[in-house]
Amino acid sequence: MPTTSQKPLELILARNLMSALSTPAFLVDEGGLLVFYNEAAGLLLGKPWEELGTVGAEEWGSLFGPFDESGEPIPYDELPLVVAVRDDRPAHANFEIRSIDGAHHRVEVSAFPIQTAHGSRGAIAVFWPAATNGAGS
Amino acid sequence: MKVKLWGTRGSVPSPGPETIRYGGNTSCVGVTLSDGSLLALDAGTGIRNLGLALPDEPSRLHILLTHLHLDHIQGLVFFAPCFRPQTEIVIWGPASPEASLRDRIARYISAPLSPVEVRELPCDVSFRHTPETEWEIGPARIRAASVSHRGPTLGYRIDDGEDSLAYIPDHEPALGADLDSLEEEWISGFGLARDASLLIHDGQYADAEYPDHLGWGHSSLSHALSFARRTGAGRTVLFHHDPLHSDDQLDQLGAEARERWAAAGGDPKAIELAVEGAELEARALAPSATSAG
Repeated sequence: MPTTSQKPLELILARNLMSALSTPAFLVDEGGLLVFYNEAAGLLLGKPWEELGTVGAEEWGSLFGPFDESGEPIPYDELPLVVAVRDDRPAHANFEIRSIDGAHHRVEVSAFPIQTAHGSRGAIAVFWPAATNGAGS
Repeated sequence: MKVKLWGTRGSVPSPGPETIRYGGNTSCVGVTLSDGSLLALDAGTGIRNLGLALPDEPSRLHILLTHLHLDHIQGLVFFAPCFRPQTEIVIWGPASPEASLRDRIARYISAPLSPVEVRELPCDVSFRHTPETEWEIGPARIRAASVSHRGPTLGYRIDDGEDSLAYIPDHEPALGADLDSLEEEWISGFGLARDASLLIHDGQYADAEYPDHLGWGHSSLSHALSFARRTGAGRTVLFHHDPLHSDDQLDQLGAEARERWAAAGGDPKAIELAVEGAELEARALAPSATSAG
């Protein structure tokens, strides 16, 4: 019997759904590793997923931030997606990200865990243009 | 491994003169392992004839359910071993956050839908959620994984020595996905079917029918062929025939499948449509001898 790196069905279906959305959306696995973002997210970041591929926390931070209101990098562990996976709860934040071309975008981010009959499989985050510069939570 | 197709039809039993060759009974596959023990894959109406073919003697049977749609469980209360006190039956199936496997099956095996209740079955029956990891039944290693269909649905892989069988009768892996370009790890069911000696896979719709059934949980011919090609299965049996497909229509679908498989570089004998009553071998072959593309 082959060993497999097959992704859980819930992540596969989440990716398929996200691929059809025009809302920037990100997907992490149960270990908190970013495993996909959609075309809309690629436009926001200035780099499509197919060109970036899986990146670690440090590289992600150096590429895109995110940054708080004073321009300080927000630790990877505090990102809503990471909180959703680690603490198994929804999380929301308002912060700034930097695209590949150096442009900054203020966004609101909501993340929620993907619960299954066998526990959490990962999390999804959606980004929205921020209406105000309010603090994250 | 020896495989017998006791029911090949999807959705609803469809007996009649137009379906007599491919069969009208719903999903059930009997698998005889290398030690002679028997597994039943799904319990559609085909399991009734399987039960009638079994000797009336003490035995232990495993039934592996992919999901609980009626065409996969309807035969349970007509399965003769269920009414034999000397028979032990273990029913495996998908977990659900809603209720236990037993309670969900009991919705069917209870009044007013059934004349008997689960607790009244004379056999020694138990219900088990499939584990996330591989487990053993006799000489076989079994693996179950969720696949793309409506509601909690599993596919199974059974390895017995070098031989392997992948059973994914209800499957829409192409929903929102391009099977020809997607990375393997992102294809529903891929890990179950990879390099299987025998793949029994959903082939419910002709390509022209699929657009009207998008999201119904089943495959078009093109999707089934793409899935078979990507997974490198040695031999593929298209299963879960649409109840509206007559024998003549299935003949045409099978001919098209073989032509397209051959055009892609595969052995046309490695693709066939499931025929009720057919006996097959799940025997390891060199994948290059049969695979397309």
